[in-house]
Amino acid sequence: MSTEAQVVEKEVEKKPSEPLFSKKNRKLLTDPLDDSNPITVQVLGICSALAITVQLQQAVIMSLSVLFVMIGGNVIVSILRNSIPDRIRIIVQLVVIAALVIIVNEVLKAFLPDISEKLSVFVGLIITNCIIMGRLEAFALGNKVGPSFLDAIGNAMGYAWILLAVAIVREVFGSGAISLPGMGQVKFFDTEWAGFFANGGFYEHNNLMILPPMALIVVGIIIWIQRSRNTKLIEEN
Amino acid sequence: MEYMSIFVKGIFVENMIFAYFLGMCSYLAVSKTVKTAVGLGFAVIFVLGITVPINYLLENYVLAEGALTWLDESYATIDLSFLSFIMFIAVIASMVQLVEMIVEKFAPALYGALGIFLPLIAVNCAILGGALFMQERQYPTIGEATVFGLGSGVGWWLAIVAIAAIREKIRYSHVPAPLRGLGITFIITGLMGMAFMSFMGIEI
Amino acid sequence: MAINKNSNGYTFFFAIAMVVVVGTTLAVTAFGLKPLQQKNQATKKMMDILGAVKVDADRSNAAALFTEYVTRRVAVNYNGEVISEKPGDAEVDPTDKNDPFNIDVKKDYKANVKKFVQQFGDNEEKLASALEEAGVVFPVFEVVKDGEKFFVCPMVGTGLWGPIWGYVSLEEDYKTIYGARFDHKAETPGLGAEIKEDFFQVKFEGKQLQLADGSDLFNVLKGGAQTNEHSVDGITGGTITSKGVDEMLNRTLPVYLNYFENANNQRAQR
Repeated sequence: MSTEAQVVEKEVEKKPSEPLFSKKNRKLLTDPLDDSNPITVQVLGICSALAITVQLQQAVIMSLSVLFVMIGGNVIVSILRNSIPDRIRIIVQLVVIAALVIIVNEVLKAFLPDISEKLSVFVGLIITNCIIMGRLEAFALGNKVGPSFLDAIGNAMGYAWILLAVAIVREVFGSGAISLPGMGQVKFFDTEWAGFFANGGFYEHNNLMILPPMALIVVGIIIWIQRSRNTKLIEEN
Repeated sequence: MEYMSIFVKGIFVENMIFAYFLGMCSYLAVSKTVKTAVGLGFAVIFVLGITVPINYLLENYVLAEGALTWLDESYATIDLSFLSFIMFIAVIASMVQLVEMIVEKFAPALYGALGIFLPLIAVNCAILGGALFMQERQYPTIGEATVFGLGSGVGWWLAIVAIAAIREKIRYSHVPAPLRGLGITFIITGLMGMAFMSFMGIEI
Repeated sequence: MAINKNSNGYTFFFAIAMVVVVGTTLAVTAFGLKPLQQKNQATKKMMDILGAVKVDADRSNAAALFTEYVTRRVAVNYNGEVISEKPGDAEVDPTDKNDPFNIDVKKDYKANVKKFVQQFGDNEEKLASALEEAGVVFPVFEVVKDGEKFFVCPMVGTGLWGPIWGYVSLEEDYKTIYGARFDHKAETPGLGAEIKEDFFQVKFEGKQLQLADGSDLFNVLKGGAQTNEHSVDGITGGTITSKGVDEMLNRTLPVYLNYFENANNQRAQR
C-alpha cells in the first residue's frame, strides 16, 4: 500500500511542468477572491485590515504593502523550501516576513511620509498578519516558485478587495469624500453646487462610519451578501 | 494614579479588540465556548505582561536613537530603530517558547489550562501590537509600560469572554442563514465596540 | 551526496547565514533611505511653521518658502533667554545640533516636560527650575510676511490618546494670535481629531492673550460655551483633547512671553 502511494507521489512530481496559467493555477488566483477569501472565509488577517479602512488611500497603500510582502515572502520561502531546516522553519518564515515589512516601512517613510504616519503601527502588524504566515506555511513551503507567486497574488487580492470595499463605504458615508494616494481627498458632497445644507454640503457626515465599530459591521454585511450569493459557504451555527 | 489610569484605559477605552481590532484572528476562532476563551484570554494577559516590559527594555536600552549611551557616550548617534520589528517579534516568539517550557515544568496544572494556547499566541497581533503601541506612545517608565501591557491583556480577555458567552447563547436564536457564524459575530463585535465607546470620555 | 539539512551544524550555518543576509539588507535599506526620511520630517515641520502664519506650502515648495519668509530662528530657555540663533537663510542641516530648527520639541516633551508637569502641576517656580536644570530649550521662529513681523511658537501637549502639538503665531504686539495649526497623533476621528481642521483653527485668529496677573493666558472652553476675546469654543465631544490644547497653550506661551519681554527690555536699554 505504502509503496504504491510513494510511486504515485513520484509520478506526480515527474509530470511534465505545466504552463504557468493552467486551469489549476488560475484557480490559485481566483479562489481567494471568493470561495476561500482570506478575510471572510478563512478568517485570517483581520487584525490589521480594519483599523486602516477609514480612508481609501490608506487602504490602497496597505493592500500594496501586503501584496509586496506576500509575493516576496512566498517567492523567497518557495526558493528556499528545500534548504530550510525543519526545526527553525517558523522562525525563518518570521524573519523573512519581518525583514520585508521593515523594508516596506522604511520605503513608505521615505517616499509617502504622510500616509506612513497615518498607518502608524499597522504596517508593523503586517508581520503578524495570519494570511501571510498561513500561506507560507501551507503553500510556499511545498510548492514551486511559479504557483507560489500566483498564490500570493490571489490571496493578497482577496484581502485587498475586502479592504477597499470597506474603505470606500466608510469614507463615502463617513467623510463624504474619496481619497487616492497622490490625489488627496476629494470631497464630492461638499462642493458649492451641492451646498444647500449646513456645514457646506447636502450630506451631513456620518461620524459613526469613521469610528472603529462600523468597520466590523461593514465586514459583517459583506459576509452576509457574499454568503447569500454563494450558499455553500453558509456555516452550521 | 497614573498607573490606574493606564490600566483602566487599556481595558476599556483603548481596548485591543474594540478600538484597534488586534488579535481578531484568534478572537474569532477560539470564541465558540466560554471555557476555552477564558484560557486563551489568560494566556494573552500573561504573555503581554511579560513581553511588553522586555520589549520596553530592548527599545530603550538598545534600539532607540541614543539608547546605547549606557555602554559608551560615543554611541549617542546610533539609531537601530529600523530593527525594532524584527527584534520585537523575535522576543515574543522566544518568550512564548520559554514560558511554555517553564510552565510545563513547574506548573503542570497551569500548563494543562494554558498549554495548547501558548503556541497560538506568538502570532497573535495583540502581542506585537502591544509592543508597537508601547514604542509609539513612549511610556516614561517600565512600570507604566508593564501596566499598559497587563491592562491591554485584561481588555482582550474581557472582550473574548464576552463574545464567547454571547455566541453560546446565540446558538438558540434564529439568525439568517448567511449571517450564521462569522457574519453575526462581526456585527455583534461591532455593537459591543459601540458600547465600549461610551467609556471614551472617562477621566481618572 | 546530500547534506543532512536537519543536522545541528547545518541548522546553525543556515541561521547565521540568514542573520548576515537579512542584517545587511536591512542596514543598507535603512541607512540609504535615512536622509530622505529626515528631509521629509524637516519639510513637514516647515509646512507646519508656514501654516501657522497662513502661508500654504506643499512638500515641493516648502523649503523655498521657508527661507523666503523665516528671518530668524531662535532657541530660548525657560526664562526666555536666548541660547542660540540662526539667520533665516542658513541652510537646514539635520546634523547641526545648534540649529534651533532641529530642536525636537516632541522628544523633549516626552523625555522631560511631561514628567515635570505631572510632578509639579501648577507650581510654576518648581516647574521652571526643573525645566532649566534639564536644559529644555524652546525654539521660536521669526517670520516676516508682507512687511509685518510674526513669531511662530511650537508647542506639545497631551490629548486623549496620545500627543498633540501645534504652532501658534503671534503678532508683533506679542498678544494677538495671528494663526494657529494643530495636529495630533491618534485622537478620535470626528471628535478630538477635529483640532486639525480649519474650522477649529480659524477660531484662534485675532484672539488676544490675557496678560493680566492671576488669570489664564487663554482658554479653550467646553464645546458650545460662551466665548470672549480671550477664549475659543472647544470641540464638542472632544473635551479631553480640547483641554489638552488649553493646557499646552497656557504652559508653553509664558516661556515665549518671557522671551519677548527680554527682547523688549534690551531694545529699551539701547
